Amino acid sequence: MRTGAAAGHVGYFHEALLYDSDEELLAVALPFLLGGIEAGERVAVSLDAPHAELVRRALPVGADVTYLPGGDVYARPAAAIRAYREWFASATLGRTQLRMVGELPPALLGATWDAWARYESAINHAYDDFPVWGICAYDRRVVPPHVLADVMRTHPRIARPDGSHEPTGAYTEPATYLAECRPAPLDPLQQTAPLVELTDPTPAHAREAVRAADPGHLPPDGVEDLVMAVSEVVCNATRHGTPPVRLRLWCAADRMVVSVHDLGAGPKDPYAGLLPAGDGTEGGLGLWISHQSCDHVTHHRDADGFTIRLTAGNPHFPA
Amino acid sequence: MTDGGVTDPGHGHACLAYDDPAVFHAWAVEQVTTGLAAGEQVWLVGPEEADTVARRLASVPGFDAARRRGAVRLFPVGHAYRHDEVVDPERQVQAYVRATTEALAAGHTGLRVLAEATGLVRTVAQRDAFARYEHRIDHWMRHRPMSAVCAYDRRVLGDAAIAELACMHPETNTDVPFRLYAGGGDAVVALGGELDPTAHRLFAAALERADPRPTAGRLVFDATGLRFLDHRSLLHLRDHARRHDAVAVLRTRRPAAARLAELLGLTEVRVEVVR
Repeated sequence: MRTGAAAGHVGYFHEALLYDSDEELLAVALPFLLGGIEAGERVAVSLDAPHAELVRRALPVGADVTYLPGGDVYARPAAAIRAYREWFASATLGRTQLRMVGELPPALLGATWDAWARYESAINHAYDDFPVWGICAYDRRVVPPHVLADVMRTHPRIARPDGSHEPTGAYTEPATYLAECRPAPLDPLQQTAPLVELTDPTPAHAREAVRAADPGHLPPDGVEDLVMAVSEVVCNATRHGTPPVRLRLWCAADRMVVSVHDLGAGPKDPYAGLLPAGDGTEGGLGLWISHQSCDHVTHHRDADGFTIRLTAGNPHFPA
Repeated sequence: MTDGGVTDPGHGHACLAYDDPAVFHAWAVEQVTTGLAAGEQVWLVGPEEADTVARRLASVPGFDAARRRGAVRLFPVGHAYRHDEVVDPERQVQAYVRATTEALAAGHTGLRVLAEATGLVRTVAQRDAFARYEHRIDHWMRHRPMSAVCAYDRRVLGDAAIAELACMHPETNTDVPFRLYAGGGDAVVALGGELDPTAHRLFAAALERADPRPTAGRLVFDATGLRFLDHRSLLHLRDHARRHDAVAVLRTRRPAAARLAELLGLTEVRVEVVR
């Protein structure tokens, strides 16, 4: 039997925690973790080093808690989903529940937040195969209002320092939330003239353009993965989009950015890119691989069609 | 020639497509000249009568004498191949194995063939059988002193049909996206060019036609000449390995291929990155 607020719940029990101080964070995290330990449940912490240390010092010495290295897991949303799903599958074996408190690194609340908002929404579905009670902590002092609004819409419940676990009231089913158009901020590079502009390129032509534009100061693996992603995205736009397909490419000292636009509506699957689709023979995997291969991917829909933007390198441009 | 990104040693098996018969005639002159200079026996196989071909080549220095002593032999296509039928790959390979052996026995340094094979690959069934034959003879040529240029008339066959054949050669003048041919060392097959979404059906067909078989449970693919490969190609390799209860070993210079195999959890595909 699952214990605590998630007792009787089947699948993923997804809560947000908004805190203003370390005390408030501990006021929720400590009873949450201790309750799990007492009930013999699996207990994990995925916080940055200072907060993890804060929790560790507040817990009894030798408490059976798994500390996950937060940083790497949160490099790319599609990769985080894959890694957590794999871990949950083994970590919940023989356990009635896994409790985990986590927090996204502050850098992800900026230029790449759109992708992490999609992540927070998609995991309501993607983690629902597992008896996991997850609390996602957000520091109210640094979270911008639009991020806060997304947090409320992507978490069914909110855990409060007073011990309550209430519905957020704004929760939106992932299929609906993910289908909405929430424009990601334009990369400032996109306001400059592109280095390359191609109309209706073949995947081979698009790959060659990326290789040729490689300024040579990005890690070669990152460029090679961008080549793969661009190839898949151009193939999808050509096969499933509405012509013309326009590819634009920009280079900066720390990143390469490629956008591919067509006049169609974009992928119909709300989880496109975040979860692998199909058996791989009909192209369902291509977009998922692109999301795994790039440091940031945005989907943008408007009256003019669908644009997917791929970034290799540092995607955290200043607002 | 298609750029594989790496220099392939090449073993003298090329697929050349032409639109202009004059281009084909120039290749005939080149093959005869090169072959005679190297002490090889040269076979010219094509749809034309021997006399017609001979008249055209009469001005090549030494041609008449070479023909008299058997260093150059002209065959109408039906002689060397079973014309207008679906070729029997095994029988056809045996014929060239014999011809190579006889050329060596007669004191030549090897056998060089220029075959105008358009008439042999007009139908789907003919192309399927001929592509299988192309791969089998490619293995012979990789290891023995036989070379061949397989010429196809693009005006008759079109690019798609020629691509089915061109991709089974280590060298070609067509812009086929990839090439699948006989490997060296423990590699049963070598791959060059790029394997991408536009090529994956052609690749599946080529792989099925080449039908490489495992040794000790391993199917080794030398993909060091491959500039790009996508997940579909890896899945084709996985499927082929699975059919033969084997592990596909992919030797590549592309670390991305290893990341892809790991991402897809392809336990039957082992990617070995060579630098």
